[in-house]
Amino acid sequence: MNQNSQPGQALLELEGITKRFGGVTALNDVSFDLRTGEIHALLGENGAGKSTLIKILAGIYFPDAGSIRMDGRQAIINCVADADALGIRVIHQELSLAPNLSVAENIYLGREPVRMGLIDRGRIFREAAMLVEQLGLEEISDVGRQVSELSVAHRQLVEIARALSCRARILILDEPTSSLSELETEALFATLNRLRSQGVGIVYISHRLEEVIRIADRITVLRDGCSVGTQDTSAVNQKELVKWIVGRDIFDYFHRPPHNPGDIALEIRNLRSKHIHGVSLCIRYGEVLGLAGLVGAGRSELARAIFGIDTFDSGEILVEGSPVSITGPRDALDAGIVLIPEDRRKEGLVMIESVAFNLSLPWTREWNPTFLPNSRKRYAMVTRAVESFSIKTSDVWQSMEGLSGGNQQKTLVGRWMEHRPKVLILDEPTRGVDVGAREEMFIIISRLVQAGMAVLLISSDLAEVLNMSHRVAIYSDGLIMDTADADSLTPEKVMEKLTGASVNEEA
Amino acid sequence: MKKHSWKAAPALRKIGPLIIAMAALEVVFGIRVPGFSQMDNQIDLLQQISVNAIIAFGMTFTIMTGGIDLSVGAVLALVGTATVSILAAGSPSTAPSVKLLLALGGGMGIAALFGLFNGIPAAKTRMPTFVITLSTMMVARGMAYRFNSAQPIPIPDNATTFLALGNSRLLGFIPVPVLVMLGVFAFATILLHRTRFGQHIYAIGGNREAAKFTGINVVRTQVWVYLLCAVMAGIAGMIHTSQLYSAEPGSGQGFELNAIAAAVVGGTSFTGGIGTMYGTLIGAVIIGILDKGLNQAGVHFSLQYIVKGLVVLTAVYMDVRRNKS
Repeated sequence: MNQNSQPGQALLELEGITKRFGGVTALNDVSFDLRTGEIHALLGENGAGKSTLIKILAGIYFPDAGSIRMDGRQAIINCVADADALGIRVIHQELSLAPNLSVAENIYLGREPVRMGLIDRGRIFREAAMLVEQLGLEEISDVGRQVSELSVAHRQLVEIARALSCRARILILDEPTSSLSELETEALFATLNRLRSQGVGIVYISHRLEEVIRIADRITVLRDGCSVGTQDTSAVNQKELVKWIVGRDIFDYFHRPPHNPGDIALEIRNLRSKHIHGVSLCIRYGEVLGLAGLVGAGRSELARAIFGIDTFDSGEILVEGSPVSITGPRDALDAGIVLIPEDRRKEGLVMIESVAFNLSLPWTREWNPTFLPNSRKRYAMVTRAVESFSIKTSDVWQSMEGLSGGNQQKTLVGRWMEHRPKVLILDEPTRGVDVGAREEMFIIISRLVQAGMAVLLISSDLAEVLNMSHRVAIYSDGLIMDTADADSLTPEKVMEKLTGASVNEEA
Repeated sequence: MKKHSWKAAPALRKIGPLIIAMAALEVVFGIRVPGFSQMDNQIDLLQQISVNAIIAFGMTFTIMTGGIDLSVGAVLALVGTATVSILAAGSPSTAPSVKLLLALGGGMGIAALFGLFNGIPAAKTRMPTFVITLSTMMVARGMAYRFNSAQPIPIPDNATTFLALGNSRLLGFIPVPVLVMLGVFAFATILLHRTRFGQHIYAIGGNREAAKFTGINVVRTQVWVYLLCAVMAGIAGMIHTSQLYSAEPGSGQGFELNAIAAAVVGGTSFTGGIGTMYGTLIGAVIIGILDKGLNQAGVHFSLQYIVKGLVVLTAVYMDVRRNKS
């Protein structure tokens, strides 16, 4: 894979970078270097200092100590414009395109060529088309298309094209694959490999270690603001990498609970809607049913329909064998079904509010039956959740923004446990949480299942689905293609079924 | 595991700087304007802010959910003209108390209708509340002008109870509008800070989608918010009309902006989910002190606008800075 790993010239060298915020040292004497034509992965748990380092490179923070050299010459990055001038561009997780403009206009956004005081639209489109062709980004070769019509993966390519159109020499990609399907990830990797061979230096940040091992030439790990070291990718395997990042051995990473299926908790019969084309499934108490499928296959839509967020046209939902009518989330909750949504910041938590607010929100009726809130009862609920899910917060009145991704996710799960739900639907429960928090989430799922809960686990991470579930439903285009014991499946077999199915669909 | 203390919600902590600002203004005008701090003058001040404060309480609910209600000034005028039309209509033989009940019922009914008119589209469609309420504002204003060929309607002399609403004083001391204001304030405070409904408003304003996923009935809550806002504008309309001794279909112009100003000075955030009722009350008092103090200091009204505008801007700037840190 790493065919281009012959060492290029030193492009960027950071030495002894230190950054403090008040009394907290975010980066302590960190060194990092990037060569031309290299993909260098930067790994670490949330809070390890990755984003601080990126922000220093992007000109948002200024380091308290240390030096930055570019092409061997001292460089000072005081502001974003300085970073731009040096050719350093960050492709952010949250994409920063104008959705109502075309691909070409977005590529030249902010530096549109002007003729006689007016934007030279002809030139924008001509040059954009040329650039896209040069870079080999054929997915976005129609530069007149509106960005809002493009998939997330293709928008990312527009961002990359924009960066390279201003002669970027260093691309920093922050979690570029977090919302891409496997196929789109492959396409992105092909693009990155091509850019690498053109001499671009790429800093690659991801929680997905399998990907990092595949794409990166070298890996640098940060832990608690310090650099743990830099190694050639060929010299490490995934297990060592996890240990390296977390700083300890994680033996049984996935913690699948023993399979003791009880009675049927949830049954779906022939559910149909715009995106769901006749889904039937059942989950027993004490069982995890994994839903494997590509991003965009309609997995979240299925979860939303069961939870009553979206309406469905026909089909039945049965809880403990008796049909329930679900017309909104309230009905689902009353029936004992809880959904932990895909996007915890948008659909899950009230980020500006406190941990206590969010934990006690579903139970307002219980601690505030009239206009006399029972603060003691509320406090008891909140404390129970904080302790039983070991949510790390300095104070229950701390705002959600101050918590790490993993603790936010624990808050989101923990708040439903006041009355044990029967069925828990988890949509991408470990997206954007680091390795340690991910393990904690698996332990929580395992604990809940052992206590008898039925879990529907939706995840794009095949390893997660296969190792946490007892049974796996392979889901594609609103249909369950196959259901099998997790132990009888391998990631290759699942991908075969998924991609094979989508080929047949198109035929 | 660290023990968590059960401190007062952070929302309450923000009230400090506002009280200091209010006290500072009080002191400055007390020194510069003779007679400003006297009891009578202070009670007058409360009477003058009562209409704006009552509207602002309702406005706070809408801004808290991330919306706005621009129609309150026009609804206030419409409620006034409708109420007085009913009072002035009919045969003289009808008992005044019956007429009063019909008039109050009719006026509040119209306010409630406009609340639904705002609230249902706001909750059920994706139309921005700014546009919805801008439209209903024009509708309400137009309807107010339909009465009595757009001429003011005098309140009949025998409608003594209605006249008392705006003009008499309890025990000859506390003006009735102030009592009404305090009553509405108590009601709104309990609603926002002590009930499930209030908790849901914070959740919806903070993150509407998350509120939905928590099982909160977002549509019903939002409709109620606009209903409350319109009804409070209606109450303010009756007081205002009574104070004018006649229903003016053109009255209430710009009242929505004064109410918004009181709410934002009091710390209500336009992004939704942030704000308190006490904050709005103090915001209304601060604007009232500025109005009255500058007036009594003999400052030209043109300058009063400029000062007020800058004060609102400063207050919001400080608020934004505080929320950021």
